[in-house]
Amino acid sequence: MQNRARAIFLVTCSLAMAMVVYAEIKKGYYAPEELGILRQAAEIEASPDSNFQGASYPAPGVDLVPGDGLQEVQIYCNTCHSTRYITMQPPLPAATWEAEVNKMNKTFGAAIADDNTRKIILYLQTHYTPDTRKQ
Amino acid sequence: MNATERCLSRRGLLKILGMASGGIAAGRWFAPDLTMAQQPAREKAMETFTGPGANPHWNSVGPYITEPQKVPLILLTDRPVQLETPRHYFRTAFTPNEAFYVRWHLDGIPNAVDLKDWKLQIEGNVNKTLALGFSELMQKFKPVSLAAVNQCSGNSRSRLQPRVPGGQWGNGAMGNALWTGVRLRELLDLAGLKSDSQCVQFQGLDTGQGPAGLGSNLFLKSLDLKNPVLDECVVAYAMNGEPLPMLNGFPVRLVVPGYFATYWTKCLTWIRVLNTADENFWMKTGYRMPDTPRGNTTPEDVKAGKVKTIPVERFPVRSFLISPDGSSKIPAGMNVTLRGIAFSGFGAVNRVEVSDDGGKNWTAAKLGENHGAYSFRTWEAPWIARSPGRYSIAVRATDEKGNTQPDEPVWNPGGYLWNRIERQELVVGNAS
Repeated sequence: MQNRARAIFLVTCSLAMAMVVYAEIKKGYYAPEELGILRQAAEIEASPDSNFQGASYPAPGVDLVPGDGLQEVQIYCNTCHSTRYITMQPPLPAATWEAEVNKMNKTFGAAIADDNTRKIILYLQTHYTPDTRKQ
Repeated sequence: MNATERCLSRRGLLKILGMASGGIAAGRWFAPDLTMAQQPAREKAMETFTGPGANPHWNSVGPYITEPQKVPLILLTDRPVQLETPRHYFRTAFTPNEAFYVRWHLDGIPNAVDLKDWKLQIEGNVNKTLALGFSELMQKFKPVSLAAVNQCSGNSRSRLQPRVPGGQWGNGAMGNALWTGVRLRELLDLAGLKSDSQCVQFQGLDTGQGPAGLGSNLFLKSLDLKNPVLDECVVAYAMNGEPLPMLNGFPVRLVVPGYFATYWTKCLTWIRVLNTADENFWMKTGYRMPDTPRGNTTPEDVKAGKVKTIPVERFPVRSFLISPDGSSKIPAGMNVTLRGIAFSGFGAVNRVEVSDDGGKNWTAAKLGENHGAYSFRTWEAPWIARSPGRYSIAVRATDEKGNTQPDEPVWNPGGYLWNRIERQELVVGNAS
């Protein structure tokens, strides 16, 4: 029995030598939230009528930093566009964030009340400038 | 201890066998065994944002997303939808519809159009208002086909220093397709322009949440009636021989050859002739560049109010190395083919040059098939690196008007017109 185990061990050893001498297998892992799998979309169900209909556009969640003003950001910014418009930007200077939010009010007619506008600007300046942005 | 010694060490081998059996027992061969005393190193995913420095990657850094009628593309924003085409789809002169980049301005993007009801309207300052159905467009007019590059004005915006707000595109906000449809001029002639007409405005089916009259409500673009590009414009109902994906503008889209994509109205439904200048936000305020060479300026001049602006129009000459893309180390001595694309909004590209020393010495690349002045032109060049090291591959194109890509960056507050010479580092490893 011991001989048999030794034989198996030696065979395994030599196989291992033959197989791995030229390559190294590096161990590592990805955190599940960082790299994942992406499901394929379903094929469309089309009928031969005149209506050309596509699937709905997905609306994935956006990770915004928790903090004061987050609620105002989620309510008002989301009216016209997803808050991914915030996280997609590079870290921007405080003055640029202020100008962006003011543009939404003055140029695009967002009509957010002054105190809420201030909260939104402060939130962006607190979490998304070159000095403050973490995620 | 080198790799061979490690493999031969009995203890190491037992560890490998032990891990393998553990994996089998758990039925999860590839899952990490987190109970091990020593955890393997944690690998990194792509960073989620870049800046305040320039984005160092070819594409933008967002995650992939699967949108209707699309293969997974790089997500910039989900509402309105902005998707970037990954680099490898530019190996060919024509960009597949399902991989073609997407950029909308307003969040009300149609995803159902009933062709029983839909009509293309030609209206405004015309002698006869027209309402043409999809089948009329296909059957009553002579179809024309044209290969043309569609490039976002803000393509490569993430290269600018200092960074500017806006869609943080890498280089993938562009694509080339064979567009088939009706000449815009034919439609305008049929409707008959009144003599005091000034410009023609284009409106698609998309709408935003903003109040009427503002840029957040409608996306409107126009072209001056004196602009000769109108004779080249096509109202396209087919893209690469297929219907347009909804996200690229089904049922029809305006094609303005050589012009930035802002004029290529998607889901085009209203062609409106005006006898005044178009004062709407997207002409008067949006998509404007400094009236300077290359649209270049500085943050200081902008702040000082010194910058006079004009609408962006034609895109400048550009070229890209598509493969090798730096994802593989190249063994020294291997014959490699450098491949890429080049294009210009000012006419056909007639020269592409490559350099492997970062732009000191240049050699001509061989141009691929010519699909027309406004198409991507593929190019290739053989390359062999005999010794290991890091090589900076640079590529530059010249168009028939004699415009050559410069090596200086460009900066303007909109983040438009980037066309600096591109570089890609390739690492060549010892092959013996």
